[in-house]
Amino acid sequence: MTAWRVALAVPGLAALAYATTLPWNVPDDDARRSVLTWLAGGVILHDGMLAPIVIGLGVIGARWLPAPWRAPAVVGLLSWGSLTLLAIPVLSGNGVDPTNETLQHRPYVTSWWIMSAAVVAVIVAAGWWRRLRSVRARSPSPRGRTR
Amino acid sequence: MGRDPDGSNGLTVIPRVEDFSHRLRDPRLTSRVGLWLGITLSVTFLTGVWSHFQQDTPGWLTIPTSPYWLYRVTQGLHVISGTAAVPLLLVKLWSVFPRLFVRPPWRPSHAFVLHLLERGSIALLIASAIFQLATGLSNAAQWYPWEFNFRSLHYAVAWVFIGSLLIHVAVKLPLIREALGEPIDRDEPAPPPGGLTRRGLLRGTLAASGLAVLATAGSTVSWLRNVSVFGVTDGEGPQGIPVNRTAKEARIERVDDSWRLEVIYGGASRMFSLDELRGMPQVSHELPIACVEGWSGSGTWTGVPVADLVAAIGAPPGSRVFVVSMQRRGGLRTSELPGHFVDDRRTLLALDLAGAPLDLDHGYPCRIIAPNRPGVLQTKWVRRLEVYA
Repeated sequence: MTAWRVALAVPGLAALAYATTLPWNVPDDDARRSVLTWLAGGVILHDGMLAPIVIGLGVIGARWLPAPWRAPAVVGLLSWGSLTLLAIPVLSGNGVDPTNETLQHRPYVTSWWIMSAAVVAVIVAAGWWRRLRSVRARSPSPRGRTR
Repeated sequence: MGRDPDGSNGLTVIPRVEDFSHRLRDPRLTSRVGLWLGITLSVTFLTGVWSHFQQDTPGWLTIPTSPYWLYRVTQGLHVISGTAAVPLLLVKLWSVFPRLFVRPPWRPSHAFVLHLLERGSIALLIASAIFQLATGLSNAAQWYPWEFNFRSLHYAVAWVFIGSLLIHVAVKLPLIREALGEPIDRDEPAPPPGGLTRRGLLRGTLAASGLAVLATAGSTVSWLRNVSVFGVTDGEGPQGIPVNRTAKEARIERVDDSWRLEVIYGGASRMFSLDELRGMPQVSHELPIACVEGWSGSGTWTGVPVADLVAAIGAPPGSRVFVVSMQRRGGLRTSELPGHFVDDRRTLLALDLAGAPLDLDHGYPCRIIAPNRPGVLQTKWVRRLEVYA
């Protein structure tokens, strides 16, 4: 085990050391500030905003959502949130070149609404299905025996 | 909210590890999500380093010209695996979030130093992982809301990421091995009615990861075009291939009959008109345009092998060729073909695409198209070839 840990940690330290020798090309304070903002910004946004929101939604969901809908809501929200986060660049439209009709000319905002509606529909449907299944499992079978 | 360490009822603002639910936040789940995350981000790292070397080749490496589709696959994988990592990273961070509130052993001690070191490596790991995914996804949409050079930083921070990942795995190895060796549901308390199990959350995370891929991968995997609603391109474009940089954006207005290709070797210089180029033996090859942003398309290009132009000016085989575009500015106006790329007869000065003269946006009157090359090096609107033996 120790050998394996050393075999991982030594190249790890070497990679960090190598990173410091690379040309970061940050010639001025603006560039340096921008790098630090982007490095720290992601962590701050996640730990300070996204994580508390998700935990809050979890508390609300556990209190208010009927049981059959809870698991579908978790998976649905995770999918919706991931797709929304990774689509932010195209949704923003900031990278669009008006002279170029071949890149980023899909109806992203419409697609996002349809995707959002589809996620809600799947959560609702999956919850109904789970509810029906659990009701059936609990109700007596036609021969009068309970399981 | 956490209670004070002395157990009194006073509330503190900062929560404690025990304040969080640990029913699903368990090493057996974390290690499995972490394994998938490690796989996807390692693929992203390796393909990213490869892409960097393609554009900035170190002396000890020779980029092969075959297989011609190699860069298309590696760069497609780079963006796909980075995209797939988004839900995995979110769930991984969720599962270990309470650890953020572990109180350090405050007294100066061996344990305190170790704690700080581990915290530091985790901070580097998370900061670099989020940085790479955020800047990478943004770059794929050609959106640069920062003041630094994307390629320099994305490359340097990639090494910070892989270094801190290796250190993290080294630190956690005993825990990871134990957790992966056990069934995921070992000692799992029964979920509340309707609640997810660990296995359910793992499957849901992998499903979200798959959805993220389906929603974007059509930019490079053509049969996914119709489902990839968040992909940067639907594959449409003049002559069947999308365009990264239009003629208008590159300030190329029009090209008239006075256009000549200049080929320089030693002290000699020779001009070729478009008709003269069309009079030379023409060769056709199906080759991809594979963009660094991850999208790609394929077409049938027809033109003069660059090797024939090198021979026409009397330069020996194996000469390298420096390509200069009519573009006035920008880093994409020049590229260099190493000798073995010039010798490969699939490396063309292309005049036609899909059986018709190149669209102005594809580089009319002629462009370089070579096998296994990033799109940024397939220089358009070529004006001059400088041959060096």
